[in-house]
Amino acid sequence: MKSIKNLLLVSTAICFAGCVTGYTLVATGVNSIDTLQVSAGPGWNLAPNYAGTGRRKNSQTWTQDGMLLDRLVFVPAVADGEALLVVADESAALPVFRKDMLPNEIEELAESTFVKIYGEGNAIFSTSNLRPQTFGDHRGIMFDVEAQVTESPDYRGMVGAFVVDEKLYFMYYLAAHPHYYVKHRDEAEAIIKSATLAVVAEQA
Amino acid sequence: MTVRRLTFLITTTFIVCGVALAAVEEAEELTHKIPPGYVPEEARDEQGLWLELEEAERSLNKSALLIRNTDINAYINAIVCRVAGAYCNDFRVYVIRNPHFNASMTATGMMQIWTGLIVRAGSTDEIAAVVGHEIAHYTRLHSLQRLRDIKKKMAAGAFFDVALIALSGVSAPVGQMTAMMSALAFNREQESEADVLGVMMVVDASYNPHASYTVWENIIAEEEAAVAKREEPGMFAKTHPAAEERARYLKALVTARYGPPDQDAVHDQKLLSVLNSNYAMLMEDQLDTNRFGRTLDLLERHGEMGVNPSLVRFFYGEMFRQRGEDGDRELAKSAYRHSIEGADAPPEAYKNLGYLLLKDGDIDAAKDNFRMYLELHPDASDRAMIEFYLEE
Repeated sequence: MKSIKNLLLVSTAICFAGCVTGYTLVATGVNSIDTLQVSAGPGWNLAPNYAGTGRRKNSQTWTQDGMLLDRLVFVPAVADGEALLVVADESAALPVFRKDMLPNEIEELAESTFVKIYGEGNAIFSTSNLRPQTFGDHRGIMFDVEAQVTESPDYRGMVGAFVVDEKLYFMYYLAAHPHYYVKHRDEAEAIIKSATLAVVAEQA
Repeated sequence: MTVRRLTFLITTTFIVCGVALAAVEEAEELTHKIPPGYVPEEARDEQGLWLELEEAERSLNKSALLIRNTDINAYINAIVCRVAGAYCNDFRVYVIRNPHFNASMTATGMMQIWTGLIVRAGSTDEIAAVVGHEIAHYTRLHSLQRLRDIKKKMAAGAFFDVALIALSGVSAPVGQMTAMMSALAFNREQESEADVLGVMMVVDASYNPHASYTVWENIIAEEEAAVAKREEPGMFAKTHPAAEERARYLKALVTARYGPPDQDAVHDQKLLSVLNSNYAMLMEDQLDTNRFGRTLDLLERHGEMGVNPSLVRFFYGEMFRQRGEDGDRELAKSAYRHSIEGADAPPEAYKNLGYLLLKDGDIDAAKDNFRMYLELHPDASDRAMIEFYLEE
């Protein structure tokens, strides 16, 4: 009898788990992601922790129409020697952030990281329009991204990044081109450009 | 050396020689199973396979990763046609932008060559050797045999679709493809047949048969140079015998039949021309893999082959700078300077040398290089970033 009861409980839990997507609505206004702060407009959804390849614990992924179509990713406080992803397999040869990286090298770090996210050989990424960008009081950079992915639409997007206290704050927007990229580009760009650090972190 | 190790070596030598000699004997009788222009007319399963593969080919034709560059396609198509001989018109060749080493052929004659094969080839003969091997799989109907073996073994109909995807090689990401290809790999006998018949086709086409094993020796050398060893073998290794084993028995086979290799190294102008024209794309894709040991091995080989020294030195600079180990900054600066000494340095050599000088605090020298970069590349998309540093 007890085993039947347990079976029923487990079955019910599985049924409910299937109904729960795990996505939650992002609040309009200022949002904190670790020590990073950004201002969001309406319509963004926070992806659950299990979504995304090699997600760092303190990072967040937002989407409007689903992660395959558009994603806005925030990766805060990447320390010297760390990768933008967390993958246990050492043979993955992940590129790592180095505290003395200059804009061209952060651009390369992004390109190589994207290749790892989508799978070596499955995607070709290129970057362009590297330019200076200020995030709050911090000097940083932005650049554009284009990707061709196997059995998938082309992707386009942009990256914003800055380094404070030898830590990298990295944000990117990537969406299926042309429709979804164009649809959310301006909003995503405004969110990335709104990024700054919480005052407490700046004083630390 | 221990007795156990000695025993192992002696046994291995006997096995390798045995395989090679057996292969030589087989080579006398090995022939193509289908004539040029072959189209299946009777077997239903074969017709079904062809229909699925034709659909897969239509999909491949739309792939964003398909190389549409005329000089690469002309070069590869010429090799395929020369090796194929009377079968030339049976094949459609697709060059895929992928930095890994691979080539494949379907039962319908859809051949895929990845750019990682071109960038790793030591000569046109080596590409011809891989092409000969793949064509031999086609003319021996190995894919059809493989499909029939699978159907016999697997009751589930769904597996048929999986098999078709794997055989077509286009409808699944590489990760899934690798697993499926592994499950559906040609058997040892089929691989040996393709090796032996492939060598015969290469010889008939007046290519150097010794390239059939030197191509594998290069892969072995690259694997040894790799910092991050693959826990899982690459795509080609999953579906083919181990490189070491293959290099050994092919060397024995070719040397027994055709004598020792010609020692005079001659620059392969056709391959060099393709590499020089497309070097930036090929090596940037390789660099994006972040596998510096492998990249270094390729650069050393390209230097020996006679690829444009300015380009090779520039990518040495890129590799050292991105690797960022102790002493790499100096090595990178030296490589960029050597690249600039040549006539064909990319403008980026000035830019990236400028960035390294900026790190050194040598601001004036950095700015000189940035100015040179913008002068050589006035439409640079990162002009705003460079001007920011120039105005600082």
